[in-house]
Amino acid sequence: MARETLRNLRRNLTLTLASILTVAVSLSLLGIALLLQRGVSNATDRWQDGVEFIVFLEPDITDSQLGLVQEEIERSAAIESYRFVNQEESYREFNEDFFPENPEITQLVTKEIIPPSYRIIPKQLSAAAIEIVASGFETKPGVKKVVRATDEIQKIEKATDVIRWIVLGAGVILLGTGLLLILNTIRMAIFARRREIEVMKLVGASNSFILVPFMLEGTFQGLVGAALGTASVYGANRAFEEWLASENVLNILQSFAVGSGEVWGIGGLLFLVGALVGSVGSAIAAYRFLDV
Amino acid sequence: MIKLESVTKVYKGEVLALHQASCDIQKGEFVFLVGQSGSGKSTFLRLLNKEEEPDNGKIFVAGKDIARLRRWRVPQMRRQIGSIFQDFKLLPNKTVSQNVAFALEVIGRPRHVIKTQVPAILDLVGLQTKMNRFPHELSGGEQQRVSIARAFVNRPLILLADEPTGNLDPATSVGIMRLLERINEIGTTVVMATHDRGIVDTMRRRVIELNNGEIVRDQARGVYE
Ligand SMILES: Nc1ncnc2c1ncn2[C@@H]1O[C@H](COP(=O)(O)OP(=O)(O)O)[C@@H](O)[C@H]1O
Ligand SMILES: [Mg+2]
Repeated sequence: MARETLRNLRRNLTLTLASILTVAVSLSLLGIALLLQRGVSNATDRWQDGVEFIVFLEPDITDSQLGLVQEEIERSAAIESYRFVNQEESYREFNEDFFPENPEITQLVTKEIIPPSYRIIPKQLSAAAIEIVASGFETKPGVKKVVRATDEIQKIEKATDVIRWIVLGAGVILLGTGLLLILNTIRMAIFARRREIEVMKLVGASNSFILVPFMLEGTFQGLVGAALGTASVYGANRAFEEWLASENVLNILQSFAVGSGEVWGIGGLLFLVGALVGSVGSAIAAYRFLDV
Repeated sequence: MIKLESVTKVYKGEVLALHQASCDIQKGEFVFLVGQSGSGKSTFLRLLNKEEEPDNGKIFVAGKDIARLRRWRVPQMRRQIGSIFQDFKLLPNKTVSQNVAFALEVIGRPRHVIKTQVPAILDLVGLQTKMNRFPHELSGGEQQRVSIARAFVNRPLILLADEPTGNLDPATSVGIMRLLERINEIGTTVVMATHDRGIVDTMRRRVIELNNGEIVRDQARGVYE
């Protein structure tokens, strides 16, 4: 029966490739939409402990500059609480929180280039109040950058939200197209073998014997599409991680990093959807054109 | 073996192909189904292996009411019925022996059984020397022999033949009829729709005549008209 399936696949190579590629592209889009969703939810989780902004210091800040910044924080009436995170701790956090499964990426980052930082919670949590306090630190000597958490994350969240829906929509539409293409491939395969099918029915081949090769063929197409889709989702996530690592370790997008466990979870889901689309497509074709 | 109880078949709600047909065919009988073109002979045969469903009446095959057969049981029933046709329905890309073997493969017969049964049945129909020919390399009579081999290789209880000599010249037809007679002598019930007056008149078997879907004559050792 496997041989039968392979022979069918060869017979309609172009159509088969078209179905597989369409399923692959649609599943990549679905996977990327899921990836974005995971990223946003990770970012929100990671900043949820109430830190509203972070003052990143130059890695080579002098002691006197550090003293001045610290003094400023303690004196400010607008600050509720703060925590100093030294290089050691930042480095550990970077490794454990952001890229635990990717030693290749953390290898690129040495302890020396990781900045120490102050994590600060202001008394008033309105965006405007945070902005006033935060911007005060931006010009201080020894300060590398001030990152406002919620603000930036919300901005990114809003942007990704729109992108996510577009990508998801395109993915679903393409998935429907993929299903129709698989259905059509199977219909062609049934048509090409109509004489054999007629004889099979005549001599009493069981329904499943007639049906299974076509079901396998459709499911196989869905699964190959899923494999390609998963590969491209994995690739996209890898590219994102590498970009994060090379670009700028302070980039807030770091908190959007998605662990490889989560990526494989998404891959598993894509395989499931691929198998489903393939078997449903061929089942419809079989039901309509095989009449067993 | 085969029993029809006032069976009616209407195609698309308007073409009356069979009207209240009743008959009873015993095991081992050889029956000719005669009548003009369009009188319902093919419909009669197609109803017997459930290629079509009757609109009314009951059909029994081997003692079973086939309307009450579960869907997944239908293939089992068809294994007891061999069918041959005017146009042979051979697979053009398979050799003679592959065509015959196909009928056994698709019902899941083990390979060693296929290996012994295919040559045996080709021997019976007189094609042992042409096992590796393709259908287009055979004469019409030889192709019909292949299709008989395929229909009979699984030793069905019943053989349905729909104008099996319709495309053959009289001399070749005689050979095919000899073969069908031999198959009938082994105990197989044969129902054959035909136009061929000569064959019916020389063989003198039971004749059921259809006219506009009605059985108008059922005669033991009958003639064409
Ligand atoms: N699949 C079908 N759909 C509609 N009408 C059909 C079909 N098959 C046969 N008929 C009609 O039913 C009648 C009987 O046909 P058939 O059983 O083929 O007769 P015969 O075999 O004696 O020539 C004819 O009028 C034919 O046109
Ligand atoms: Mg006919």
